[in-house]
Amino acid sequence: MSKSFKRGILGISMVLPSFLVLVLIVVIPIMSSLRESLKNDNGGYDLSNYTYLFTDKLMRSNIIFTLEITIVSSILVLLISYSLAVYMRFNNGFAVRWIRRTYMIPIFIPSVIATYGLIQLLGNHGWMARILYHLGTDSFPRIIFDMKGIILANLWFNIPFTTMLLGSALSGVPDAVIESAKDVGAGRMRIFFRLILPLTFKTLLVALTFVFMGVIGSFTAPFLIGPNAPQMLGVSMEQIFSVFQDRQLAAATAFFTFLLCSFVGYFYIRSMIKEESVRSS
Amino acid sequence: MLNKKSAFAFVTSFVLAASLLSGCGSSKDGGASSAAEGTGTSSKQVEFSFYYSGSQNVDDLWKNLIPMFEEKNPDIKVKAVYVPSGTGAQPTYDRILAAKQSGKGSGDIDLFEDGLGVVTKGQKDDLWDNLSTDHIPNLNNVDQNTLNDVSNLAIPYRSSAVVLAYNSETVKDVPKTLDDVYEWIRSHPERFAYNDPSTGGAGSSFVTTSIYKFLPEDAIHNTDPSIESQWDQGFSLLKDLGKYMYGKGIYPKKNQGTLDLLTSGEVDMIPAWSDMVLDQLDKGQLPETTKITQITPGFNGGPTYLMVPKLSEKKDAVYKFLDFVLSPEAQNVVVDKMHGFPGIKLTNMSQEVQDSFKGASEGFRSFNIGDLDKDINKRWQSEVAAQ
Repeated sequence: MSKSFKRGILGISMVLPSFLVLVLIVVIPIMSSLRESLKNDNGGYDLSNYTYLFTDKLMRSNIIFTLEITIVSSILVLLISYSLAVYMRFNNGFAVRWIRRTYMIPIFIPSVIATYGLIQLLGNHGWMARILYHLGTDSFPRIIFDMKGIILANLWFNIPFTTMLLGSALSGVPDAVIESAKDVGAGRMRIFFRLILPLTFKTLLVALTFVFMGVIGSFTAPFLIGPNAPQMLGVSMEQIFSVFQDRQLAAATAFFTFLLCSFVGYFYIRSMIKEESVRSS
Repeated sequence: MLNKKSAFAFVTSFVLAASLLSGCGSSKDGGASSAAEGTGTSSKQVEFSFYYSGSQNVDDLWKNLIPMFEEKNPDIKVKAVYVPSGTGAQPTYDRILAAKQSGKGSGDIDLFEDGLGVVTKGQKDDLWDNLSTDHIPNLNNVDQNTLNDVSNLAIPYRSSAVVLAYNSETVKDVPKTLDDVYEWIRSHPERFAYNDPSTGGAGSSFVTTSIYKFLPEDAIHNTDPSIESQWDQGFSLLKDLGKYMYGKGIYPKKNQGTLDLLTSGEVDMIPAWSDMVLDQLDKGQLPETTKITQITPGFNGGPTYLMVPKLSEKKDAVYKFLDFVLSPEAQNVVVDKMHGFPGIKLTNMSQEVQDSFKGASEGFRSFNIGDLDKDINKRWQSEVAAQ
């Protein structure tokens, strides 16, 4: 047996367990739900469920609603988290110490409780409305049972982890690089856009993938504080599956959500592969 | 050294085996384990399995009633299996049916709790045992008409109904009929809410009652899909009411969602389950000014039934248990713990209990439209929610 053959076997045997797990819990369920989603009422196979998904007024508005929330939430989360992380990386003092101590707290609060907390705080007769009322403001915008509520909840759930992710990437940017850039006369903006952003871009992409997938598949917050219609896809899927008991349509919705996620995943993987090939060449 | 080691191993394996054995004993054959320990009484202990589902309050109720029963009947043990609502009621029924079809008795299920739909379904499949006063003397306490409705195949041990809950401080002209309710909703915009019908029975009842208002009276027992063409008028009414609803068309999730709105004073009137309202009034979660009333034609309501699978082998023990459940003592627990209407005639209960259910425990109707509610929910979602 040649040495390279042996090494090949070793390599495959090391990859095999994770590959098998992947097949078992990801590939097979996706394939079976794809198959389920292609079934029509008569037992045959066609695209009727997908046609319904994209032509039904309600389903279409659900999809648009979900995408809107996901995109707005992702952008806001990344903006806030990135500025928080940058602030914590390049500043020191009282405020930074406290942000560092407290920003992880939302992770440890169960999502149902956090969601009810939001309802209590921002509901029509919630604390915020009552405080504002005493300050002389009569009208309070509708946040709960609205898109704004879901986006706020998404911010609460996603900012801590994203900040942590970006924070660790930023701490990987060496001080020496920044100082030498300063020495040759680069301005703040220039340092940020030419050095810091490119150096952390990959992590930013990872964070985007996490936030996007987390938001698009979220259920608890949209279920409890979302409007009745349009719904986010997760809520709609649950309703189609367990209330209307239309398994085929639910499978089609699930598969479509998977396609949306893999679209984002594609960019992530592509940038990873690019990096690898640059490194190995 | 070796000695010590083997002694340790021996002790460990002994402890393990003992704990395993006792685990098996309690779950499978209580009689055998108690006999083996030598502490059991001379009579053999019988254990039967009781499957029930529902919200947390149903679980709490049985966790109160079963120990009371077991204390009185040390030779009977009730193995309670709680199936949380919405997840497993259907599979439990399927299990009983499958066990019968494959000739395996009752599938280890000796007592089963569910609503009217399942009782009639099992009647067609010939699954339930015929119950009589010979075995269960306390059946005499139950209204004979309710028993006739289910051909003596099931015991209505408690019931509840959807009622109109309102804030008596702001609602002076309390609606008496369904049309009064619509009138009230129109003249008080955004002060009424019902929950998303796919997430709870209270909202579902409001929707169904509104749709069937325009249909002949006996349509509420019709499970034939051909009736769906007559729903249009009801849906257009609901659609029209949408703009007068809380938040101009917000339907909270779950039965509790609307109760929360009533508590915070955001609305003045909601359809709600009687037991939930009474329970939360008792605990002080709802303001004391909250009152309930039934309207005509009534909202959905009705008993929850206990059924004995025909092929169960432990019927004698089950009968004893059922007799206990129908005793005034156990029925008092139903009233106290979950504020359900008692399953036995009110005249058997104390005057206090009779007074507390005045106006609420009558006038409701038992809808039995089978799977049609799925189609109602679907149509409601696309026509009313997404208008």
